[in-house]
Amino acid sequence: MISLDKINHSYDDKLVLENLCLNIDDKQLTCLLGSSGSGKTTILRLISGLETPLSGSIDIDGNTLAKDGKNIIQASERNIGFIFQDLGLWPHFTVYKNIAFGLMEQKSSDIEMKVMDMLDYFGIKDQMHKYPHQLSGGQKQLVAIARSLILKPKILLMDEPLSNLDVKLKRKILDYIKNLKQKFDLSIIYVTHDHREAFAIADEIVLMNNGKIEESGSVEQIKSSNNEYVKYFLEY
Amino acid sequence: MDSIKHINIKNGSNSLLGFNSLLFVIYGLFIIFIGFPIIYTFGTVLFENDLSNSFKLLNNATFSLLFKSLILASSVGIISTFFGTILGFLLYKTNLKFRSFFKIVLLIPLFISPYILAVAWKDFFFFLFGNSSIISSYFGVIMVLSLIFTPLAMLIIGSALSNINSQIEESALMLVSFKKMVFSIMLPLIKPALITSFVLIFIFSISEFSVPAFFGVKVFTTEIFTQFSAFYNHGLAIIQSTLLIAICIILLYAERKYIADAPFLSVGSKGTNNKMYDIINYRKLGQLFLIVWLIISIVLPFIILFAQSFKGGMHSFIKAFNLLLPTFTNSISLAFVAAVISVFIGFIAAYFSIRPVRVYKSFEWVLLLIFAIPSTIYGISLIKFYNQPEFGFIYSTSTIIIIGYVGKYTFISAKLISNAIKQIPNSIDEVSQIQGISIFSRLSKILIPIILPTIFIAFIISFIFSLGELGTTIKLYPPGTEIMPIKVFTIMANAPQALISSMTLIVFSVTLLMISIFYFMLNPFIKKYHSIND
Repeated sequence: MISLDKINHSYDDKLVLENLCLNIDDKQLTCLLGSSGSGKTTILRLISGLETPLSGSIDIDGNTLAKDGKNIIQASERNIGFIFQDLGLWPHFTVYKNIAFGLMEQKSSDIEMKVMDMLDYFGIKDQMHKYPHQLSGGQKQLVAIARSLILKPKILLMDEPLSNLDVKLKRKILDYIKNLKQKFDLSIIYVTHDHREAFAIADEIVLMNNGKIEESGSVEQIKSSNNEYVKYFLEY
Repeated sequence: MDSIKHINIKNGSNSLLGFNSLLFVIYGLFIIFIGFPIIYTFGTVLFENDLSNSFKLLNNATFSLLFKSLILASSVGIISTFFGTILGFLLYKTNLKFRSFFKIVLLIPLFISPYILAVAWKDFFFFLFGNSSIISSYFGVIMVLSLIFTPLAMLIIGSALSNINSQIEESALMLVSFKKMVFSIMLPLIKPALITSFVLIFIFSISEFSVPAFFGVKVFTTEIFTQFSAFYNHGLAIIQSTLLIAICIILLYAERKYIADAPFLSVGSKGTNNKMYDIINYRKLGQLFLIVWLIISIVLPFIILFAQSFKGGMHSFIKAFNLLLPTFTNSISLAFVAAVISVFIGFIAAYFSIRPVRVYKSFEWVLLLIFAIPSTIYGISLIKFYNQPEFGFIYSTSTIIIIGYVGKYTFISAKLISNAIKQIPNSIDEVSQIQGISIFSRLSKILIPIILPTIFIAFIISFIFSLGELGTTIKLYPPGTEIMPIKVFTIMANAPQALISSMTLIVFSVTLLMISIFYFMLNPFIKKYHSIND
């Protein structure tokens, strides 16, 4: 279980998360839903270790990752995957090397076999010698996901990864994402501002507003919530 | 898209600590070898010696000379900014033919030693009027310096113009005429670039030594040089230098944000949605202006030097070539070593500057201050500090020249590289951090390969500037050291005009040759990298 307890965080003196408490169950696909500036991405960055909370603590399965304004376990040691909104593919590496690079740096064995399996699973084997700028939007998404999963993370964080795709392609990639949980034995935290996207894939939804949690629960619980903000948010 | 605004220095472990220590060691060495001599020289003269006599020498004549230098530098600043604005508009905002060619070729005067153009124009006036008294004046200095610095204004203003969002211009064009939009929207939006252009050109002009010295025009820098080298009045020279530095720093401070960011020192930034105009009625006039400027600033000086060199046959040219031959290897190797070190330190400073910690950013400010100090004064500071027995290994060897070049041009490398790093999305480094990739791999396998074209361009610029540097080198060169600009400059006083022209032509040609070699060697590679990084 991922547990955030009494988290406060700010950027340039602007408080973005205030006394936030959140528990996320294992092997679930949890969507953090909310409008821009609600603090969704900040939560991902704190869990990943890219940011250090001002106060409060973050635990995963009983291990404390961050506490009292310090990162106890660094980002590189948390065994977490992160898909950024702009994907962050390394532009000077081919598809193959983008996926293999993490393994190469870890001096892992059977790199080629692992990468080929991954390319096969995502159906992008024929693109392996291409550079990111030669790929379509959907192919880039798949490379970014494959690159994260090759290191076998326990948790996959996804920050609005489909925001630049058209509706048809979005549906296709969402199907992939839904299956990842079982196939790779993962917990997924998926950030989006689009409730339709969240309803399509989530086991659990956390609706955020101004750095606080307005409502959380299953898709059905969110849909039937009496919270005024939830009703307002779902109207649009 | 977020760019790398900061790097999470808490991530990682021992390797990161080691890397941070390396950064501080480089910063420390730079301060010790380059920053400290300047502080030491000024401190010694200002606080230890009895300065009352020197202060008395700061009389009306000195202030009158300072005033003349200020007028001269202001004139160059205004003229260059004016023509730079026209060229910037024509090349960055219109669809005139051969824009890419002009953008590169018109920059050449910026990369050759200023005295080369001075020699050419003196020859031209001599050819026209039978004497060179008209050009050997403040007018001549202003004219030559304006031709040299207009490309800098063009670069700064063109870059600002191409970064205006097209929607801003288009919204205005829905309401007012094109002319009104230019004057009421476009020019006010690029005001920081216009001021920066004036300030930088003012500082470079007031610091320029070789052109006024060649024309025999007395300005503040030549006076400082005379006091230091001819009268050995170091105290007065330093006090005069302090006045000059104070003026430069005040001006820098006024426009510090824009100058420190230096968005114009950026490779391959295409601007956000740049709108190009078809100046239908003025297309021929615009094209003519570009051609005339090319002729005046590059073609004519080259033809004049060529004609003057071979007027009496090959004799002068062969003699000039033989005189310069021993300097080629030395000049090129010193410039090469200095450029490599400048790029290395520039990279470290750039990496420092993107971190949200004040002490890291201070490195870039130190580089900017040294860059803005007039070359002659910088040279004097180094020579005064290193002219001691324990520093013989620096003072009496070419090391002092390399130190001079590195201090002078590292700011340009640092700015080019930091602007390139800022264009890289934040996520590219963060993905690497999360994947547990070490700081050295992140730098050597991710960051450096992505910004490699910029690193090459920073190297070329540092190399070419170092190759032509005169103001600092003339104070520093150890006896017996043969360097191209020094050889030409020391011969200028007594040699026949044809020999001077020949030597200048050779230096001009060597510089152009080096630029061309680098361009043709690296252009395909840079193009390939740009297409990958797009």
